[in-house]
Parts: sequence; structure tokens; C-alpha cells
Amino acid sequence: MEFSCWQKETITADECPFVAAGDHPLLFDRRQRFLRHCVNCSTCLQSLAHVTPGDGVDAALPPLLIEALCLHQERVRALERHIATRDRELAFLHDVGQVLQTSVDRDEVIAMALTAITSGKGFGLNRAILLLVDEANERLVGHLAVGPREAEEAGRIWHEVESLDYSLIEMGERFFREKMASEREKFGPLLECLTTPLAQRDHPFVRVLDARTPYQIDDLFAEPGLDREQAEDLGVQQLILVPLISRDRRIGLLLADNCINRRPLTAGDLHSLETFALPVSFAIERAALYARLQQELGRVLEAHARLQQQQDIIVRMERLALLGRLAADLAHSIRNPLLIIGGYARTLLREAPPGDPRRDYLESMVRESRRLEETLQDVFSHTEELHPTFGLWDINRLLAEVAGEMRDDLALGRVECRLDLAPLLPAVRVDFRKMHHCLRCILNRAFEGSLAGETIVIHSERRQDELLVHIRDGGPTLTPEEIATIHAPIDPAAGDRHLFGLSLCAQTLREHRARFLIESDSVRGTHYLIGLPIPEEA
Amino acid sequence: MARLLVVDDERDIRHLYAAELGDLGHEVETAGSAAEAAEALERSSFDLLILDIQMKGESGLQLLQRLVRDKLKTPVILCTAFGCYKDDFSSWLAQAYVVKSSDLTELKSEVIRVLGKNQ
Repeated sequence: MEFSCWQKETITADECPFVAAGDHPLLFDRRQRFLRHCVNCSTCLQSLAHVTPGDGVDAALPPLLIEALCLHQERVRALERHIATRDRELAFLHDVGQVLQTSVDRDEVIAMALTAITSGKGFGLNRAILLLVDEANERLVGHLAVGPREAEEAGRIWHEVESLDYSLIEMGERFFREKMASEREKFGPLLECLTTPLAQRDHPFVRVLDARTPYQIDDLFAEPGLDREQAEDLGVQQLILVPLISRDRRIGLLLADNCINRRPLTAGDLHSLETFALPVSFAIERAALYARLQQELGRVLEAHARLQQQQDIIVRMERLALLGRLAADLAHSIRNPLLIIGGYARTLLREAPPGDPRRDYLESMVRESRRLEETLQDVFSHTEELHPTFGLWDINRLLAEVAGEMRDDLALGRVECRLDLAPLLPAVRVDFRKMHHCLRCILNRAFEGSLAGETIVIHSERRQDELLVHIRDGGPTLTPEEIATIHAPIDPAAGDRHLFGLSLCAQTLREHRARFLIESDSVRGTHYLIGLPIPEEA
Repeated sequence: MARLLVVDDERDIRHLYAAELGDLGHEVETAGSAAEAAEALERSSFDLLILDIQMKGESGLQLLQRLVRDKLKTPVILCTAFGCYKDDFSSWLAQAYVVKSSDLTELKSEVIRVLGKNQ
């Protein structure tokens, strides 16, 4: 049988398609050529499969075949190890990813992320440090660090972890529940030392954050821009820096090192952390947004409760005012006849001579009319506050007073209120108390329709025979149907309580013969216009 | 002796005030509305005006503002069943504010005080 090239000591380049142009030495080295190419060549393997003892194959072939086999076995083992590592990493990323995707607690997310970086079941680095961007103060602030500080502590922790055999999730949860506060305290000085102003653009932390690409420092003390004190406090030579970026927003910076076992950091470590940083950034951002949402929700609920409370007060006051009006009208109709009866009785009594038997009757009339007048006076003093007191008032003063009363609420909701009041406006005839409630109710509504950062504008002006008050907010709050409901006569049985206050306003303004217009659209927000007639005497 | 004008839309109150204030030695004329009062003021002069506030037609306060605008110097005592009009700026144009009562002591005292001040 004719054997192929594998049996020859020397071959030409035409005989083996696997020997590349730069591999010419292989043409003259049978062993190397066999181990690298022949064992992968189908022609060669086919030829070897048909070798029989009588074919006169040389004695060098069996050792070559064994060596090739060993080499392959080693490669297979390496690949198996690699696959096992990747399997573990995938499982770990899956576990951590679940926590990162489901948790809305920022500290829980951070605890899990840092545990994953430092755990042997995770990336297995010795120490992880998180710095978060503080936009308000323009600083990168040391937030949390995880890991042992010295070899003895490391030995204890690693032994404990090994003996308890916690899963990564369990370790993260345990750290979050039991160790987070103590860890923060333990690394307090280091975290403080690592805090860096964002304006320090040449600092490696800020540089990495700005460049948005991970970076490995191989010699901290030689790194340009890094404070010597920070390098000393870190106490390592090598450090990995990974920026945390979410939707183009700088969240923070992740630092990792092997401060205990001093294992050199590799490009693989850097790459793994870079991949891991993306979901961590999103999770931290989401948790922060959720916290802010909760805070805003709390504010809205608080404002809503207060509005509800004020509406209840308005309704109660309306009822009391009605009652007061009835009582005052009744008292007034009694008072005049009583005054006449009592007044004439006094006159007659004064004129009656001593000993006149009619004096007793007259004295009784005077006494009883006085008693009734006193009772009426009590009724008056209780009802007059609720009785309409139309008078000439400075509307600017009223507006400033109402806006001043809402100052705390506005500040709490971070809504600005700008007063743009025309000077020297004439006084208008209004029931001060009712107009006060009315303006308060509209301003409350405008506040409710505004988001944090928006501005409510209150503007007053004179236009011909009218004094105009404009209140504008930024958000669309009322539909045309709702506006129609506000202007319709009040139906006490209707359940739409959130419009009740404005309905009462509309009624109050009708009583004042004032115009009340509401315009609401998604672009310009809501505009309340009150047009009060200017009295002739003003 | 002074000349007083009592303005009230209640006839019996006008008569009572006229009798009582007349007993003090004053000459009292009465008017049943702001319009009648304005006529009386055009017709003749008075030393003091006693003015009710809530009346049919023009109110006492509106009449008072008109008189002030027309630069009428006659002092005014507002006499009303309500205390709440004290909050109205225009009531401050009057020299005194008396809440109505069958006991006319306070009204009489204010009449004496205001007349004494304006003599």
C-alpha cells in the first residue's frame, strides 16, 4: 500500500495543504508536522486507519500517536474547565441579574453587585468599592466598599463562607441585611478619602467616568492625577476602574482590586466587570428613580389629602355661612320691631309719673325687650362672622395674602408662585372671606396641576370697567366636560368632590357678579380668569 | 340746638329717634331712604346726619360715599343693626358707628360727642 506524506521525514509544500507560507520549517520536521497538522488531516487519518502490521510502518509512529492523543486530552480538559467556568459565570450572572432586575431598593442592588464581585462564586476579586455621582454637590462620593481589610479577616470570612456554603443570592441578602452598615463604617475613612470633585478632570476616576470606558491601573503610585493619599489608603498596586453609565447618565464608578491575595488583575477581570457594570448601572438608576417616584407620590398624596381637607372645610363653611345668613336675617327682622317696642316703652316709662300703675307694665316691657336684645346680640356675634360682608378691598393684598398662606405647600412641592400685580388698582367690592376661600381654592387647584419645577403665575390688571385676575399653571388638569360641570349649578348629591371647590368658587363669583373663565390645554396649561366689576365709587 | 336728619327705612324707628333726640332739644327731620335724604340735604343744611346702612335702594354706605365725594361737610353717625360693616373701609368715613338698640343712651352720647366736636 502507498502511504501518504505523514510517513515522510521531508515533504514539499505541494504535498500538504495545511502548511502555510510562514511554516516552512514544518516541511522538514516530521514530528511537529504530525502533531500539528496530520492528526487533523482526513487523508492522513484515513490512511492510518488502514495500516496493518505487514505494511512496514516505522517504529516512530506509535509514540507520535500517543503524544498527539495526550495533547488532545489536555486540550479537552482545558476546554471542559473553560466551559465549567463559563457555566458557573452564567449561573451567577443569571442569579445576580434576577436580583438586579427585580429589586427597587438601591442598597439591595448595590449589596448584591458588590457581593458578586468579591465572592468566590462570582468574580472572585478581593475588594470592590462603589463611588456614586452626587450631581447636586458635583462630587464622586465613596458610597460603599466590600471585602476584607487584612489577611486575617480574609481568612476568617473565606472560611465562614466555605463552611456555610451559601449561594451567591443568599450571601448578597445576608450582606444587605446584616453587614452593610458595619461594612460602610469599616470603610468609612477610605470612602471619604476616595471622594473626588467632578471638576478634577485629570483625576483617573473622573477621567474614566468622562471617557465612559473601563481602565486598569497597574501602578497606582505612578498614575498621573491620582492623589498620593488615595493611593496609600487603597494600599494596592493594581486597580480596575469601571464606569457605571445608564442612558448617557453618569451613575458612578466601580473599583476592584486583589488587596489580599495580590493575584495580578487580568484583561479578563476587566472585561467581566465591564459586562457586569451595565446591568448594575441600570439597576441602580432604576432603584433611584423608583425612590424618587415614591417620594413624589408621597408629596402628591399629601397635597391631595390637604386639598381634600380644605374642600371639607370649604363645604362646612358654606353650610355654616348659609346657616349664619338665615340666623342673621332672622335676628335682623326681630331686632327692628324689638327696638321700636323697647324704645317706646322706655319713652313712656320716662314720662309716666311715680305711682302710675302702668309703670309696672312698662318696666316689664323694657326689661324683656332688653333681655331679648341681649339674646339677639349673642346670635349676631356668632353669626356675623359668617354673614356676607361686602366691602371695598384691595385685590392685590388679598392675592398676596393667599399666595403667602400657601408658601409652605408650594415650597414642599417645589412649585414657584410668581406674583405679577399691577400697581394702584382700584378697590373692588367683595365679600373678603368668601373671595379669600375662592382664590385659595383656585390656587390650590393650580398647585395640584403643577409639577415640581413649574411656576404658577398670578397676574392682576385693570381693563376698562373690570379688574382682571389671571392664575396660570403649567399642567393640563381640566377637560371641557369638567369645566362645564364647574359652571353648572351645584348639585350636592353629585359625587365629583374634586371639582366641588371650583364649583363653589364659580357660585361665589356669580354672587359677586364677576366673570369666571377656565381654559385648559396640554400646551399652555390651565388659565383661570376672574373679572371683577369695578364699582363706580372706587 | 342743632338740626339733625335721621335716615331709616323703618317709619317707627324714625319717629322714635325724632322724639328722643327732639327731647334733647334738637330739631329733627327724617327721611325714609337715601334718595329722600339727598333731597333733604339739597333743600337745607343739617348739623348731623344719623344714617341707617341696610335700606331699600341705595344703601347708607353708598350715600355716605356720595356725600363725601360731593364734599358735604355734615358729620355722619352710622346707626345699623349689624356690627360687621365696621370691616368695610367706607364705614370709616363716618364720625361714629352705633349698633341699634332700644336703649338709645349710646346713640344720644355719640350725638352729643359728634356735635360738640364739630362746634
